[in-house]
Amino acid sequence: MKSFFKSKEMGILAVLVFLCTVLSVNNPIFLTLDNIQDILKANSVLAILAMGMTLVIITGGIDVSVAAITSAAMVITGHSMKLLPDSPISILLALIIAVASGLIIGLLNGTLISRLKIPPIVTTLGTMSIINGSILYFTNGVFLNSSNFPQVFIRFSDIKLAGISILVYIIALVTLITWYVMKYMMIGRSVFAIGGNPVSAVRAGIHLERTQLFVYGYMGFLAGIAAMTQMMYTKSVDPNGMLGFELTVISAVVIGGANILGGNGSVWGTLLGVLLLGVMQNGLILSHIDTYWQKVIVGLVILSAVSYDYLQHKRAESKQLKVEVQA
Amino acid sequence: MEFLLQMRKVSKTYPGVKALDGVQIAIKPGEVHALIGENGAGKSTLMKILVGVESADEGAEIEFAGEKVHFSKPIDATLKGISIIYQDLSLFPNLSVAENICIGRENAGKGYYRVQWKQMKLLAEKTLAELGLKVDVSLPLGKLSIAKQQLVAIARSLAFDSKLIVMDEPTSSLSSGEVEHLYNIIEDLRKRGISIIYISHKLKELFTVADRFTVLRDGKFVGSYDKDDMNEDKLISLMVGRKVEVINREENKGGEEVLRVEALSKRGNFKDISFSLHAGEIIGITGLVGAGRTELAQALFALNKPDSGNIYISGKKVDLKSSGDAVKHKMAYIPESRQTQGLFLRQSIIDNISVTVFDQMLNRFGFIERAREKQLASEYIQILDIRPPLAEMNAGQLSGGNQQKIVIAKWLSTEPKILIIDEPTNGIDIGAKTEIHKLLRRLTNKGIGIIVISSELPEVLAVSDRILVMKQGRISGEIAAAEATQEKIMNFAVLGAG
Amino acid sequence: MSKFSKISKETMLGFILVALFILMSIIAPGFLDAYNLSNMMFQLPELGILALGMMVVIVTGGIDLSITFTSSLSGVITAMCLSGHFPVAVAIFIGIAVGLICGLLNGFFIAVIGVSPILVTLGSMVLFEGINLTITKGNAISGFPDSFGNIGNMSIGPIPLPVIIFLVLAAITTVLLNRTVWGRSVYKVGINPVAAQFSGLNVKKVLMFVYLFSAFMAVIASIIMISRYNSAKVDLGSSYLLLTVSAAVLGGTEISGGYGKVIGTVYAVTIFQVLSNGLNLLGIPKTVVDILMGVILIAVLSLNYVSARMSHNKSIKQSIKSSSSENICF
Repeated sequence: MKSFFKSKEMGILAVLVFLCTVLSVNNPIFLTLDNIQDILKANSVLAILAMGMTLVIITGGIDVSVAAITSAAMVITGHSMKLLPDSPISILLALIIAVASGLIIGLLNGTLISRLKIPPIVTTLGTMSIINGSILYFTNGVFLNSSNFPQVFIRFSDIKLAGISILVYIIALVTLITWYVMKYMMIGRSVFAIGGNPVSAVRAGIHLERTQLFVYGYMGFLAGIAAMTQMMYTKSVDPNGMLGFELTVISAVVIGGANILGGNGSVWGTLLGVLLLGVMQNGLILSHIDTYWQKVIVGLVILSAVSYDYLQHKRAESKQLKVEVQA
Repeated sequence: MEFLLQMRKVSKTYPGVKALDGVQIAIKPGEVHALIGENGAGKSTLMKILVGVESADEGAEIEFAGEKVHFSKPIDATLKGISIIYQDLSLFPNLSVAENICIGRENAGKGYYRVQWKQMKLLAEKTLAELGLKVDVSLPLGKLSIAKQQLVAIARSLAFDSKLIVMDEPTSSLSSGEVEHLYNIIEDLRKRGISIIYISHKLKELFTVADRFTVLRDGKFVGSYDKDDMNEDKLISLMVGRKVEVINREENKGGEEVLRVEALSKRGNFKDISFSLHAGEIIGITGLVGAGRTELAQALFALNKPDSGNIYISGKKVDLKSSGDAVKHKMAYIPESRQTQGLFLRQSIIDNISVTVFDQMLNRFGFIERAREKQLASEYIQILDIRPPLAEMNAGQLSGGNQQKIVIAKWLSTEPKILIIDEPTNGIDIGAKTEIHKLLRRLTNKGIGIIVISSELPEVLAVSDRILVMKQGRISGEIAAAEATQEKIMNFAVLGAG
Repeated sequence: MSKFSKISKETMLGFILVALFILMSIIAPGFLDAYNLSNMMFQLPELGILALGMMVVIVTGGIDLSITFTSSLSGVITAMCLSGHFPVAVAIFIGIAVGLICGLLNGFFIAVIGVSPILVTLGSMVLFEGINLTITKGNAISGFPDSFGNIGNMSIGPIPLPVIIFLVLAAITTVLLNRTVWGRSVYKVGINPVAAQFSGLNVKKVLMFVYLFSAFMAVIASIIMISRYNSAKVDLGSSYLLLTVSAAVLGGTEISGGYGKVIGTVYAVTIFQVLSNGLNLLGIPKTVVDILMGVILIAVLSLNYVSARMSHNKSIKQSIKSSSSENICF
């Protein structure tokens, strides 16, 4: 427990708490249940994708195709839903289609990276291009609205348990599952091992390729879930809606303290990063600050967060006494 | 059983060369067996074959604990009871101590998918206790000292019930006290019936710790010997196959002062360092690992700014702000780790040598002339006898000794007045070692003042005119070479001044 | 096989370019028309100049995600000066100053403090876009003097001015990288920053200039772009970001740093241009072109991987022939 207080996550939590305090003082609306739920719902896709990205970044890789995969899953599922009957089974089918689409593309990334040893940034740049081009080609940019979805799906999206939207439960579920995988599953630990020292990991019998396949596949899987969530939130499909979103996902993960070079990261840090971005945006809206200023502030926050993180790391390093100097 | 491990008729051919030719080795249970040979003799290839990183040519026979074995992956060997501790420890600084010990079988090896944290903690604490180490096993490994990390590596072998542990240069980063502790642990392991294959270039160590020696030379098996039948000289000549000459040190006159350091201090690094270096003189700085020698050297070269004190070059006070400054003042620094700190392995010999003297390579328009770089490189290839003499070859493909020569060449081309060289012959075989020592003495004839930092006492005694001993960040003693002995040096290093 | 590996990957790329060009001339209607050739030549330099900037950054092992927003920000400011009736030279000067300030910001965090380039440029990218938005409120700025329009639209003989600018910049970059101390240091910093520092090189200064260099390229590209489109907007050139990385990588630059040749990047950019123009003439929608770019990127890199493995095996041979076999790394 003590180590928690000194950890990076504590720093971000402190900033988050500070921010929330300031905002709730200025805007009493901020701390209402409705508003908090709004924040969570609006950032559900970000949260889900960031969980997957955390694993990818811990292995020392990166996936810039996540937004494209999510869009692809949305488009495929959305158009499939036009054909689905208005019965509860459709929800299940939609989920399966979404997840399968994401998973397949994710595994494609994983295969290219693990078998052909193409650097992750280049591979996912390529697949992103291919996917975005394909989406646009097949949809011509056509937007799907809620009339295309079975009624049962719309009702499903609005479900609330104990007054809390189902979307929040999805975030919680994804977070918990990812946490469990990272802490209690062998493949989760091998993610850390590979991120920490790939050569030693292989020597210790850890499958580099299998682990890479897993993280990119899992990312794709989560993209499928994110696609469902986005459709539930917006009740529509916008093929162009997520362009550029991958960078926001990466921002959330690095603000949350994960080391971009790999080896370190946690679900909680990432969650805090997502919350920080979400709260900031919400706060700016509530305070009626120009939307244009939002980007300026987000940019400054990213710069501060990463510099602070880095300087902390350097300070800790230099504190490690190299020599026990005799007094 | 008479032998725990027998390897016979082991050959390994790579395209164009036979790295191993019909090598054999036999290890008894509960013995410490030293594996010796020059760089390139085939020691690590043999071990790689043993643990499954490489596979031998047809016809090799490997028997372990009575059964024929053939490993295609390191983890197979580990599960059978053979583990290897690499020189770099091959651990994960970002993972906890317990995880490092249990890596590969966090599920308690029972095929569960689920990581058994509690059991890992128990196993980790148990194995560390056997080694006399008590730490919080949930701490990240990176927070432990190298010596403790090494114990963790050994604990990992124990956690896997290893019967045979290969240790590759285990003491390269340990202080003398830690080395003693390691010997005790090895003794314990031996009493438990665990055998150890000990690879090291430090012959004195081997005589302390090993029962038997196996010597390899040029990929061939030379012989296996009991400790009692062996001494250092015999060992060296078996390794090298020729008599090794001792360097003659001439009386050194010592010229004018080129460097003077006064009360140099840096918190957590060193304190109150004062000495002076003269042209044509070699000062050896030695001491236990962790005494602050490298930190001091880097401070002189402006890579590690001191908190207080003065540095004078040729009598003038200087305030060096960067390594570039130091170079301008005719200082040169050859770092401890040539591959990670001194070379650009992906670049050619030419590019590695010219990096320090770009300003000499410019034509009248201010552009670098490749022709001049090539010429510089071929000069030094000749002077230092760098092999193979192919200037366009990538530095990464040369042997350790030749790589070190490239680093030396790159600094000699700056015509320095002060040369600081840290562990000049680390990991270099006997033949090349002597070459480099001779070279250093030759350089003094040019009036260069040299500081040699080394933890190898024979080396320090062989090359220095004066020896400074450091202990815990301070200079604990100064001896003229003529009066120096290894005992006197160790006294200063371990006990301190007085 | 050994003859095969003697051809450098850049030369291979050159062959691919020629083959592609010939292919397009044959199958794409109107490909060789003066109109189309002129089109290609006018479009290419924007991406090309940005790719030069990005390439140098990648050689140091970094990346500049903010390059396109540096470009649009300086473009917008230049445009504001122009429509505010500043003299053209002054407007350009101010634009360059703005760009260099952006580069300075990046350089400060990356070179002086030492934060990872991907993280810094992620932040600065968002920051620059934000500043741009607050200034323009998303609107376009236009109304430039005719003389300014010449930059992007004029030709000297058959060759458009932008192409000349691009080729000149490419030549200068080549000379800088191969024949100047800074340029050589760029490679060394990319291969081993520690060894570079220990060899007396001023790594901080080298990196600072690298990010100033990419910012400068961004500004020049923006000047050409706003001159061509006769207006400036926030998203000017924003689609180019990933293309610049792709072009650099396709051109043989190693994403981990330490290797990269200008000629490779030039070939890569030209390949992208020829491909996109040719396919367009064939009536193939732009979306398919995007798909193809992605496929080509992956295909070429896979080929690189395969041929690198072959030459690695060759170098093992070489190293064994020399004194020791101890250096084979696994």
